[in-house]
Amino acid sequence: MRIVWLFLSPLIALVAGVLLLGLSRKIMARIHWRYGPPLLQPVIDIIRLFSQRSASHGILFDLGIVVSLAGSLIITLFLPFGNIAPLSGSGGMLVILYMMLIGPLGIALSGGESGNPNASIGISRNLMLAIGYEVPLLMVLLAVMTRYGTISIVEIVRVQQASTWSIASWPLVVSGLAYLLVMPAMLGFRPFEVVQAPQEISSGPMVEYGGSYLALVSIQHALSLYITISLFVNLMLGGSGNIVIFLFKMLVVFVLFLFVNAVFPRFRIEQAVRYLWRWPTLIGLIGLVLVALVGR
Amino acid sequence: MMVELLLIVAFGGSLLTYVLGKLSSRLRNGFALLNALALVIMIGMLYGQEFERSLPFGFLGIQFSIRMNMLSWFFAATILGIGLLAVLYSFRYMKGKERLDYYYFTLLFINASMLGTVVAGDLLSFFIFWEMMSWSTYLLISLRGGGKAIFAGIKYIIMSLVGSLAMLVAIVSLYTAFGTVDIGELAVHMQSASLGLALLVVILFSITFVIINALWPFHTWLPDAHAEAVSPFSAILSAVLVRKGLYGLFLLMYVILGFSFLDRLAVGAISFSNVLAWIGAITIVFAAFRALLQNDSKRILAWSTVGQGGYMVLGVSVATSMGMAGGTFHILNHCIYIALLFFVAGAIEHRTGGIRDLDSLGGLIKKMPVAFVGGLVGIFGLIGLPLTNGFVSKWLIYKSLILEGRPFLAFAAFLGTWGTILYGYKFIHNIFLGQLPDELRDVKRVPFTMAVPIMVLVVLVFLFGVLPGIPLSVVNQVGTYMGFEPLDLNVWGIPSESGTLNVVNLLAAIAVAGFLVWLLFKTLGRSTRVDQSDNYAAGAAIPRGRYGFTREFYAPLYRIVSPYVKDFPDALFLWIADRTKALGGMTRKIYSGYVGSYVMYIVLFLAALVFVQLTWSPW
Amino acid sequence: MDRNQLIKWLEAPAKMGHKYSLHAVYFCTGCGIIEVPPSITARWDAERFGVLPTASPRQANLFLITGYVSVKTLKAIIRTYEQMPEPKYTVGFGSCPINGGMYWDSYNTIKHLDKYIPIDGWIAGCMPRPEAIFVAVTHLWTLIDKDMADGYKRYRKYYSQYRANQEKVLLGLEWPPLFPIEAG
Repeated sequence: MRIVWLFLSPLIALVAGVLLLGLSRKIMARIHWRYGPPLLQPVIDIIRLFSQRSASHGILFDLGIVVSLAGSLIITLFLPFGNIAPLSGSGGMLVILYMMLIGPLGIALSGGESGNPNASIGISRNLMLAIGYEVPLLMVLLAVMTRYGTISIVEIVRVQQASTWSIASWPLVVSGLAYLLVMPAMLGFRPFEVVQAPQEISSGPMVEYGGSYLALVSIQHALSLYITISLFVNLMLGGSGNIVIFLFKMLVVFVLFLFVNAVFPRFRIEQAVRYLWRWPTLIGLIGLVLVALVGR
Repeated sequence: MMVELLLIVAFGGSLLTYVLGKLSSRLRNGFALLNALALVIMIGMLYGQEFERSLPFGFLGIQFSIRMNMLSWFFAATILGIGLLAVLYSFRYMKGKERLDYYYFTLLFINASMLGTVVAGDLLSFFIFWEMMSWSTYLLISLRGGGKAIFAGIKYIIMSLVGSLAMLVAIVSLYTAFGTVDIGELAVHMQSASLGLALLVVILFSITFVIINALWPFHTWLPDAHAEAVSPFSAILSAVLVRKGLYGLFLLMYVILGFSFLDRLAVGAISFSNVLAWIGAITIVFAAFRALLQNDSKRILAWSTVGQGGYMVLGVSVATSMGMAGGTFHILNHCIYIALLFFVAGAIEHRTGGIRDLDSLGGLIKKMPVAFVGGLVGIFGLIGLPLTNGFVSKWLIYKSLILEGRPFLAFAAFLGTWGTILYGYKFIHNIFLGQLPDELRDVKRVPFTMAVPIMVLVVLVFLFGVLPGIPLSVVNQVGTYMGFEPLDLNVWGIPSESGTLNVVNLLAAIAVAGFLVWLLFKTLGRSTRVDQSDNYAAGAAIPRGRYGFTREFYAPLYRIVSPYVKDFPDALFLWIADRTKALGGMTRKIYSGYVGSYVMYIVLFLAALVFVQLTWSPW
Repeated sequence: MDRNQLIKWLEAPAKMGHKYSLHAVYFCTGCGIIEVPPSITARWDAERFGVLPTASPRQANLFLITGYVSVKTLKAIIRTYEQMPEPKYTVGFGSCPINGGMYWDSYNTIKHLDKYIPIDGWIAGCMPRPEAIFVAVTHLWTLIDKDMADGYKRYRKYYSQYRANQEKVLLGLEWPPLFPIEAG
């Protein structure tokens, strides 16, 4: 059974991620009073991209993408999904945190190899934004791990199932607030959509990607949406023992941030980092201090 | 007799290298390599032995002694291993440079004296070896000559001398208190020592070891030293020499003082290990942000050395067996990947005619694939991505910090890692990725003797990352020697109740997923290879040689953080140096050169004495 | 999606993908681009046809030549067209790209665009309304279905002629030929 889930859970994550991507385009269109593309438009795009002949800039240009997607696929094995987490016993939260680096790093290496300054600017923005939101995020994660006294995400979900959601429990509610504030930055939604910024830097790291490269990046993007939201649901909204409820929670969180995405313009990277290091960090720090004071 | 032989071979070899160099350079190179190889073989044979022995001679009535145990062996192995690779690497790197006999002699001499410090059985010989190490390091930092190199050397030697003096005072006060400087005997005596003496000794020794370990606020010598030192020596400096500070801390904290005594050294929440841990945490964050602002390949690595030292201290000061194992293992890992990175930076420097400025490089991946692989793997290890060795040790450190309930220290450690990603990527991107400038079109591959050390270290990074059980069993023995519970281990990770690590699962998952994605990519996608000039530039042909983004890679972040991460300790020390110089200038005015004024000083002094005697009659 | 569509999808997914996911290069070649913002935003909503502007030619498969083409623009058009991955479709938008339009007697306007790059279809008018873009898109669907939108194949086949024409009017190009040019 475990073997089956090992292959099935990345697939479910993939399907869920691509559907979220399609849904986002549809919902955004409806907010703009447009009819919008069909729900499966991302699938159509990916099929089209795979059948195109594209240009490659070198071995790292190919390998970076492959590694990035592979890394993202693997994280889904570590994140509890409903009550399933095939590989969660191999390192806990710390491994997840590190594995979440592989996706962006793979794209960064591949984009750097393309030799286009737009890509380099995009990557530099991506890394700066990452260190911007990692500061509050790490505070939140450490608050959660210290509060529950474990680094195992399955354990964290189990404790929440037994008592109450983290975001509804006393000291962690502060951390939960900080987490909510950094979520748009983690998802790459506006007002933090500085990395791709098609109007400024021609979609940043992806500027030289066409055909199958762009297809893999789209899939990776879908997966990273899934991973980010699923991490939030697991840590803050108590995960779930049931796949359907889990996906429903994810959908709610996603739509919530989509609304933020739809109405905001874009920060400059500098403003984004300043914002992230001001309010979310302050709230995250208060949350961490509270957890350290209250203890387990 | 093995250890004595080891020292004799090490010191004798370095002297003989110098003599042979006068005869023939090939003979000298061959002999230096053989000597380093012999030392590695000998230390391999010493594995697992534990003894302590007095030497038949001494100094000032103190008997010298040597000792061998897992702690010494662990450090000695890293010293000699890196030493061998550095010697091999030097052949091509130093080719055609001046004063090569002197260079090889000093290089081997530093290795020998470092070896001496870790096998010294008493504090006096430890001190003597320590001084040999300090002075020869000074010579090698200033090897290139010129104002900057001399300045960096002076900066190092002054800080190092301050440390040495502190250590000397500590040793003397220990000797006057207990009448012995033998480490084993001191460990027994210290349990009955007064708290005041212990505090004095601990503080004095800590100053020494923090300075040599380049922890904040005494890190200031290291970046300058690296910027001036030749690359093979940089590798030694970063990988093993600064870690002598940690050897000293181990010796002080866990061999001489012991746990129970350390716990007594506390005022409320402020304990020795807490202070040390916070120094480590500040070092990590400070160094990470300083490294972001650097634009010289070796300075970036120098700052990363400073930062990684913080991780080790964090792990060591947590003082659980897991944190201890993490800290100790990190010493080994760091020594592997930082040596690798310095070798890579040196290879780039060698092949491009001395370019270290990150703004004028780029696109070298196509010209120097071996250097690229080395650099990438080294940076991955530095970040600590899964499947590299850095991951395992950092995992241990994080986990021990979180489980011990120290989230703020863990936060500093995490933040340092994220900073590492930023400057690590900058290092890779600005050297290897992007457009290849026209001037670098004819750059050749890394020469064979330089590629061998790089490839060896690349293999080690992955080997220790995938099978962490092998080095961790050695680390476990080091921990056991210092009185820690051995960690529960298997070959591929750490099983434990509160979160296990299983690297083989990770490896299998990454391999399978990577293979599947690769298959998908290859079967569905078709692509043609294009030249770097076939690039999107809004419909225009790319402007040759000017189509890159390397300068001020993190400029917006730089603007935000630069007011806060100024190097205040450096400015303070330079100010002190400046004031001291001014004071010296004033003192010199006393020596006017006229006999009359000297007579006047004597008369005035005598008058003062007489005045004092007549007024207070103290004598 | 009716049954006919489903069968087509199963028979030739690539072709259907090309039809329903036309990503256009975001490249303003002339004044005709003024009609593009309304067509991609709320009023006409091109996204329901799968038409979306992209930032870089590498990601696109539809090239709208919007408005008159000067010699200088032609160079950028050729460069952009060559960087697009195959299969790719080109549509001339407005009278100017067709025959020079109101600039028919200008010394600096390209009057026969299809001498330099292959064009799959034209939208006549000055300006054509946004609806005309959708008519063009649906027409392009038919052409793709019948394998008649084969501009990229023609470009490959007659590359030496196209290249010669380009070099003649632009007095040399700064980049090497995309495909090998056979002698003669």
